[in-house]
Amino acid sequence: MSTDTAVERRRPFSAKWLQDMAIRYAMVLVLIVVIAFFAYRSARFATPDNVVTILIAAAPFALIALGQTLVILTGGIDLSVGSVIALSAMAGAYTAKAMPDQLWLALIVAIAIGALAGAINGLVVSVLDVPPFIATLGMLTLASGLAFVIGGGAPINGLPANFSQFANTQVLGLTIPVILMIIGIVGFGVMMRRTKFGMHVYAVGGNEQASRIAGIKTGRVKFLVYTISGALAGISGIMLASRTINGSPSLGVGYELDAIAAVVIGGASLMGGRGTIWGTALGLLMIQTLNNGLDILTVPSYWQDVVKGLLIVAAVSVDVWAAKRRE
Amino acid sequence: MATTHMASAGARGTASSVTLEVRDIHKGFGGVPVLKGISLSLEPGTITALAGENGAGKSTLMKIASGQYKADSGVVLVGGTELPTGNTQAAARAGVAIVPQELASLPDMTVYENIFIGRELRGPLGLRRRDMIEEARKNLEEFDLSIDPTRRMGTLPVGIRQMIEIIKATNTGASAILLDEPSSAIAAREVARLVEVMRKLRDHGVALLFTTHKMSEMRQLADKVVVLRDGGLVLDSPMAEISDDDIVTAMIGRELEDMFPDVAEPTDEVVLEVNDLLVEDAHNTATVTVRRGEIVGLAGLVGAGRTELMEGVFGIRKTESGEVRVAGKKLRRNDPGASIVANVALVPEDRKGGGGVLSMDILDNATLPRIDQFNIAGWLRQRKRRSEISDVVKSVRLKSRGLGQEMGTLSGGNQQKVVFARWLVGDVDVLLLDEPTRGVDVGARSEIYRIIADLAAKGMAVLMASSDMPEILSLSHRALVMRDSSIVAELSREELRQEDAQDRIFRYASGLLEGSPTTTIEVQEETDR
Repeated sequence: MSTDTAVERRRPFSAKWLQDMAIRYAMVLVLIVVIAFFAYRSARFATPDNVVTILIAAAPFALIALGQTLVILTGGIDLSVGSVIALSAMAGAYTAKAMPDQLWLALIVAIAIGALAGAINGLVVSVLDVPPFIATLGMLTLASGLAFVIGGGAPINGLPANFSQFANTQVLGLTIPVILMIIGIVGFGVMMRRTKFGMHVYAVGGNEQASRIAGIKTGRVKFLVYTISGALAGISGIMLASRTINGSPSLGVGYELDAIAAVVIGGASLMGGRGTIWGTALGLLMIQTLNNGLDILTVPSYWQDVVKGLLIVAAVSVDVWAAKRRE
Repeated sequence: MATTHMASAGARGTASSVTLEVRDIHKGFGGVPVLKGISLSLEPGTITALAGENGAGKSTLMKIASGQYKADSGVVLVGGTELPTGNTQAAARAGVAIVPQELASLPDMTVYENIFIGRELRGPLGLRRRDMIEEARKNLEEFDLSIDPTRRMGTLPVGIRQMIEIIKATNTGASAILLDEPSSAIAAREVARLVEVMRKLRDHGVALLFTTHKMSEMRQLADKVVVLRDGGLVLDSPMAEISDDDIVTAMIGRELEDMFPDVAEPTDEVVLEVNDLLVEDAHNTATVTVRRGEIVGLAGLVGAGRTELMEGVFGIRKTESGEVRVAGKKLRRNDPGASIVANVALVPEDRKGGGGVLSMDILDNATLPRIDQFNIAGWLRQRKRRSEISDVVKSVRLKSRGLGQEMGTLSGGNQQKVVFARWLVGDVDVLLLDEPTRGVDVGARSEIYRIIADLAAKGMAVLMASSDMPEILSLSHRALVMRDSSIVAELSREELRQEDAQDRIFRYASGLLEGSPTTTIEVQEETDR
């Protein structure tokens, strides 16, 4: 490599610079275009009420997508989060029904069950060296089965009315799940950039061998990301149950795929080491905006799936292409 | 079947009198030239040895000739016809076969399936498995291999698998076979058989090209020797007309003096003691001591166990017995974190990408192992990190667009400088270097030598494994020679300065000199006869 090209900086606003920026922020551009399109087609889309609707719909996905981002950054994947949502929702609902006077206990049980499921994933992946796909696929089935076991095969109804306070209490005009989402995105965003743990997550996914040489306990990092992913699914589960004042074993089914989609659309590599919380938030916003906008335009839901599918493939194609261009 | 193929291959070769020819091949990776105008030709019924140090461009040349890489310029001709560049299928169709260093066989399939993969015998009822088994058995017998063709490939030793790969190549009608270090991974007994197979092929009119580090194999097999050095062709001569010394000189003949800095005298204080360390899967233990300020070179052939020893000392490879002491204190085994705390640093071989995380930026890479200096309760101290790292990268003369540049976009030499720089932000007592300049262009090499000499002068004990002879000869205070995971010889500074040092190291390393624990290839050959 010659010194000159290495030290050269791209001048702002040159054609080359614009091209670079366009590639780097392709997803932002697409999102702006999508928003502009929906706003143009429907007067209902660009209203504060509708923005709140989008945020409320996004919240349960946001929490598991954050956990998923961490897992994917280490080069793994967590397929179990959808089922873990169901399991912890059922566990929370069961506790609430058994002890209606101490609702905070339901919250703690749900989060603890989620974290436990994640910790088991983490142990199986880091200690037993089972591929993450398989380990979490097993947990997906197992947790889903347990969710049904808790309710004896049926949803848990007749919960105390104030069980809904977790999801429906408003602070500054926003419900708790939305606030958790915002705190989560900012908090995880800062953590990944500014803490030792964040750096270690990137390192393990980027090059495990190099990380070990640098003295990083790679097994521990992996264990932690799965545990975090599980705990976030637990929070998501109790929020979903609280929203409907009902524990259903089919809550969260298939959510893992939307979470993975958000992470991937946000530019993360499934090989690990590449991706940002900011990108995941953008991917999440993209999916929810599309869902909402297409709903408003009364596009049938199966066509919405077609659009989402195309978007995922297009996003990853652009990413792969941009990566090749970087070389 | 195989015979007819080979006969026709031979006939095709004689028609043009040159089977495979490459002309003026140029190739670079990421701006670093690897091959600078290589021309050579292989005649039918000959064996050519392709020699040169690691990184001289041997494998690259073979990959271009077999179509795996695209040459930047230059042509590959088979029987006088030009091949489209970078097209493996065209090369295979023209009769060029390559047996790579890392075998491409399918371990979960049977021997005959491996032989016939891609050109399966088919009848109206699907695969004619019985015919293929029969055919494969004949092929194997022809090369004196009594192996059941229905055995799973993965159950066979590497050497046998390699021979099956060669048989497969001849079966597809190859007129030129390229073997990349065929003997590096296999036992001595199997080498003798490999030699037989190669000779048989030559007698059938096939043109063979093989790379090796072992002089004895060149003498045994080759009709012609070609030497590459830093991407240029420096020697092309019939084997009979050239001495071993000439070949070695051609391989390493670089201006040594101006590449290497002066190294300061070491102290007497022993910092690193490795006592009878037995690394997992090794056959022998190793004992090494290094003093403060001393650079100890670790020489040996590929597979001698140098990397394994380094990794064992550092703790990322399991060790079974023995101990490592740093400044008198015993190091906890199998715990790289403890090694780092004890001021031991490892700079691994660059080509494996073990050193850096390519997807992270320079700043993160440079602070990865010493992150504890730059955080308070897990929070990174960005300003401190930036200022200290910009100082150290300046001191290693890193060429970059800034600390935010991604590691993967740096050249090999600059990546290596970042991996060095990460240890400069704190104290290091023991520095373990594994092939510090492999994959590094010549310009950056002398700077890395200067960094190493500086670090030693600051009081580090440096243990440096290298396959680059000049590095061992000119940079070390002392050199140890490894063979079969133990230290078999030690050369003092004075001995290293002598004319015959290189030759002696080579002889120790290959087991030609002094009570050798392993049987040498020559001995093996004689007992076979």
